[in-house]
Amino acid sequence: MRFEMKMPDLATTDSPVRVIRWMAAPGQTVRRGEPLLEVETDKATMDVESVVSGVLGEILTAPGQTAAAGELIAIFEVAGSAAVDRPTTAPPSATPAASAAPIAPPAARKPGGMFARNREVAAAPATPENAASPRVIPLSAAGRTAARRLQESKQTIPHFYLQTSVNAEPMIARRAAAAPQKLLWDAFFVHAVAKAIQKFERMAYRFEGEQLIKQEADAVGVAVDIDGELYVTPIAAPAGKTPEQISDELQAAVRGLRAADPQFTRLRPARVTVSNLGGCNVESFIPIVNPPESAILGVGKIAPRAVVRDMGVSVQQRATLTLSVDHRVASGRYAGDFLGAIVQELESF
Amino acid sequence: MDNPVVSDPAHTPEFLLELYRKMVVIREFEEGVKFLFLEGSMPGTIHQCQGQEATAVGVCAALKPDDFITSTFRGHGHALAKGLTVEEMLFELFGASTGCCGGKGGSMHVGNMDKGMVPGIAIVGGGVPLAAGMGLAFKMQKSGQVVACFFGDGAVAEGAFHEGVNLAAIWGLPVLFVCENNLYGASTRIDKVMKIPSVSARAAAYGIRGETVDGNDVLKVLEATHRAADECRRGQGPVLLELLTYRRTGHSRRDACHYQSRDERDQWAANDPIDRFGRVLMERGHIDGQGLEAIRETVVAQFNDAVAAARRQPMPHIDDLTTDVFAPAEDES
Repeated sequence: MRFEMKMPDLATTDSPVRVIRWMAAPGQTVRRGEPLLEVETDKATMDVESVVSGVLGEILTAPGQTAAAGELIAIFEVAGSAAVDRPTTAPPSATPAASAAPIAPPAARKPGGMFARNREVAAAPATPENAASPRVIPLSAAGRTAARRLQESKQTIPHFYLQTSVNAEPMIARRAAAAPQKLLWDAFFVHAVAKAIQKFERMAYRFEGEQLIKQEADAVGVAVDIDGELYVTPIAAPAGKTPEQISDELQAAVRGLRAADPQFTRLRPARVTVSNLGGCNVESFIPIVNPPESAILGVGKIAPRAVVRDMGVSVQQRATLTLSVDHRVASGRYAGDFLGAIVQELESF
Repeated sequence: MDNPVVSDPAHTPEFLLELYRKMVVIREFEEGVKFLFLEGSMPGTIHQCQGQEATAVGVCAALKPDDFITSTFRGHGHALAKGLTVEEMLFELFGASTGCCGGKGGSMHVGNMDKGMVPGIAIVGGGVPLAAGMGLAFKMQKSGQVVACFFGDGAVAEGAFHEGVNLAAIWGLPVLFVCENNLYGASTRIDKVMKIPSVSARAAAYGIRGETVDGNDVLKVLEATHRAADECRRGQGPVLLELLTYRRTGHSRRDACHYQSRDERDQWAANDPIDRFGRVLMERGHIDGQGLEAIRETVVAQFNDAVAAARRQPMPHIDDLTTDVFAPAEDES
């Protein structure tokens, strides 16, 4: 017997529920009460239990897709009718007689608001909307968190900004030497920032409650954009790692983020973050500090630049670096020396 | 945890087995409703009480039929323990006009005045002053009745708690203030919002007796409620009972409950009130494991019958919109 599973009414508002992952594959037998899928509501991520025992036939809402409460998300094949209670044709004798017409079983219903799901409702009039360009784009929980934190940072952290440029040729040479491994550029900047923090320890602190508190996690973050969602993925203890190791870790983290693996999507602290827009041909930009970190390094694209040396002009591959700093943590001079140390590290790969 | 010791040998095996059956009725009701919610048959959200069955059953078994209880948004267990049927509860949850509140209350407002239960008061702490008012009525009418007022640990920091308990204390009203301390007010652990180690210690501030009881031991709850109800009937009330228990689900069906640690959940699962009392009944030779399972199977079958019936119940009609809203005024001329 076919059983249609619908998205439960788990959101606190009428917003749709996003499927993060399915814990069973089509063809697999699932028991009533076993965790079947993980979803993200407007408020939290949670496991959803299977409401039937049976064989999962088809998954209709893939990971990453959303469904409104009451929308069909999977089809099961269940043995007989014992696996889930179904309406019976005759009312049981132990209950008061009711002359009303039977209420339609849930299978016959369309989603119709939270208070109408166990009875017949008129279908809501379809609102024609261009799916390619909707009037409103609801943000995911991660998107809302990022928005809130960025606003809080820009409004409450007194930022100041330092700009310089760096000779990228040592990095280019190191990258060529590592072939065929394709080193991510970010790996160099993460390593250099970590080494510079060792010399400028104050950058490992955060401002909190009128004092500076050391950030427990020894990590440098990397800003990552996964299909428009912003994440900062921390690389732990990067000063002791080679750019090759950091690059591997970073690639694994990006795979984890794409798979919506909670181990990677969870908010985890770092000390300073690296944000690199070189790949988008951006020459320089001013990033927003990722709280509660002390600073963020904006990396522009590497390009040939005219450099004056020994009263002559030569061409060198260079990149522009912009450091946004929380002024409550560091003075201009301290941060300037910190940025100088980053440049020194980058030029000695 | 220790098994309970029964000081009252007058409890017959039939009485004890009925306590067990009632707890199973509540557990299976809540489990069944959970799946009805997940499959989309049950509208709204639902606040469930799996793990707290012994508090509801222990308190209500110690009350007389004409005693009253007040309840909260987490009231399914209280209602079933006070004598409401699975059918009138389920029909109400389905929004049917045959439900205990004519389909106008829903999950958060179940109750039946004829059975001694004021429909659930969903505002946290809101039942405390109402119970004081009921206690005042019983005292003035010299009816000998008592009211047991259920609330959670989240209610004890509400202003209404102080006002209601203080009023009942100064007027010596027959009210049992029953705090089901399940450690969490929604997602907030009690030690984050209360400096003293126990809710019952607050009784001293009002000059009344307070007692903390193992709320997962149905017989201890029963005995403590008997004592407290007797005191109330003798004019020595009110009493503040704190029943230590644990909610094995989220605050509501929409709560993922990430704030309860795995260790804490496991510890309380090993301290399950139904499992514990089942072992006591077997040790005393009142029943064996098969017998306990048979009780559960019967309860599940009755629940499934009630679900099938609930799907056929009539919905409230538009003409009923303004009925049950106003009570007729008494003619004072």
